[in-house]
Amino acid sequence: MKPSHLKIASIAALVLMIVLLPHLISDYWIYVITIAFFYTIMAASWNLLGGYTGQFSLAHHTFAMLGAYGSSLLMVKAGFPFFLSIPTVILLTILVSAVLGILCLRVQGLYLALITWAFAEVARNYIRLDYMFTGGDRGMNTPLLFGTLKPLPYYFLFLIIAVFCIALIALVMKSRVGFYLRSIRDDPIAAQSMGVNIVRYKIIAFMLSSGMASMAGAFYGHSIGLISPIMGDFNEMAMIIIFVVIGGMRTQTGPIVGALSVRYLMELLREYAEIRIVILSAIVILVMRFYSGGLMQLWEQLRRWFERDADGPVSAYESSDQ
Amino acid sequence: MTKAEAQRILDVRNVVKRFGGLKANDGVCMQLTTGEIRGLIGPNGSGKTTLINQVTGIYDVSEGSVHYFEKPINGLSPNVIASLGIMRTFQVARVFQDMTVLENMLIPALAQGQNRTRATQKAQDLLDFALLTRLMDKPAKSLSGGQNMLLQIVRGFMIDGLRLYVMDEPFAGVHQSIKGIIIKAIKMMNKEKNVTFLIVSHEMATVSSLCSRVTVLAKGRRIAEGSMKEVANNPEVIDAYLGGVKKDVVVEC
Repeated sequence: MKPSHLKIASIAALVLMIVLLPHLISDYWIYVITIAFFYTIMAASWNLLGGYTGQFSLAHHTFAMLGAYGSSLLMVKAGFPFFLSIPTVILLTILVSAVLGILCLRVQGLYLALITWAFAEVARNYIRLDYMFTGGDRGMNTPLLFGTLKPLPYYFLFLIIAVFCIALIALVMKSRVGFYLRSIRDDPIAAQSMGVNIVRYKIIAFMLSSGMASMAGAFYGHSIGLISPIMGDFNEMAMIIIFVVIGGMRTQTGPIVGALSVRYLMELLREYAEIRIVILSAIVILVMRFYSGGLMQLWEQLRRWFERDADGPVSAYESSDQ
Repeated sequence: MTKAEAQRILDVRNVVKRFGGLKANDGVCMQLTTGEIRGLIGPNGSGKTTLINQVTGIYDVSEGSVHYFEKPINGLSPNVIASLGIMRTFQVARVFQDMTVLENMLIPALAQGQNRTRATQKAQDLLDFALLTRLMDKPAKSLSGGQNMLLQIVRGFMIDGLRLYVMDEPFAGVHQSIKGIIIKAIKMMNKEKNVTFLIVSHEMATVSSLCSRVTVLAKGRRIAEGSMKEVANNPEVIDAYLGGVKKDVVVEC
């Protein structure tokens, strides 16, 4: 078999497996995987902003919460139908994220993290406190997209959204915009001196990434029936970072692998719910210290180990001037 | 282009830069003509890097103005200045560490809207010239310091319509053979594309062989200008390098 045939065959097998899988497992597990798809979107879109562009936002989960609340409020309070409320709320959160992006323009690293974290806390506490409007800590009942709580249709819905978002991110990263985003992370001053409009692309990264989070959040709200300010807890943000770091930051497959595998691990640790965040955090410390490329680095090393006969290691340091 | 057609490409007029109470530049003037290779020298802390940061938009201009082909460019952001055909390098090579050598080369070209296939071809030609082709697909962080400097310099040649190239210490800490390539590139681009160069350097021998004129800064002022031979024999310049600068020594605009 030629490698290209092998690739097509494995993709076909994967698609078949994903389509058949929900018919073989219990509703509970379908639900678990659906949620894992939601987190895959969150991880992949945060990776675009925090990974590739280097804007370490701590408000990504907030945009999902705003998407969920926004869409449901538009429907319940303003009588919008689904097909209007979801696009409207995505556009609104993109506007909000542009403002946040502008606020973050002149800051980097820790300061950007602090500003976005403060924004996240403001948004979460607003939703908690304005209980007449949002239902506060008791949460809010949301209209169900498919009129049922059975997870099967939502499984396919989130599968499609996840594939869409991942494909969109892959397209962006392949385009010249992807080049600009990576150059901004590596060295914003050099990027600007080479003609890259860093102001524009930093904000675009914020808008794209937050738009995807808000879309995922809106559909999430319409699939679980009850949303609460817990969506805005810092824990949620920590989980997104854990997925990306364990999977492999600044890779396109890393966040997907990270979100799916860590969610699975969390299910296995369900009986130890109290300490699983401790276990996961410990894994993050170990990964950051000893294996900063995450699972994708491991995969890359395995791949190279198998292929080493074909292509011997070449040191970049051997060169004419030395 | 004949001498008569040579235009004033860069005109720095009484430029001041204040950092809080400190005046890093205190009324600097300098004029460059298209097609020249100008040296900018001076002791440490004399304001050379500050000045080119002001020319390329990294720093603002507290007072005075910078004109490029008679149009003011102070106040524009660095990417707009780059789009006018002004490239620069940094004293400590600023390459995009996690991007490959080829991707580094593509950034200025893509930012300018060049077609990617053509830009890749151009990048490969330049990397061939710089003997970096073998490292094309390696991340820039795996390069040596000298190779980084070389990459940074050839990257600037990627834009179409490069008119002015400002270089900050391009020869500092690089191996002789790389230095040779850099000098060759400067001479070639100057001769073939009529690119104007403004080169900050401490390497007097290189500056003297490359630059017809040099500007000498000390304590944020222009204290001398002329051929290397003239300024080297200027007692004020010798004084500046040995420590003392008299307040009243300034080459007026």
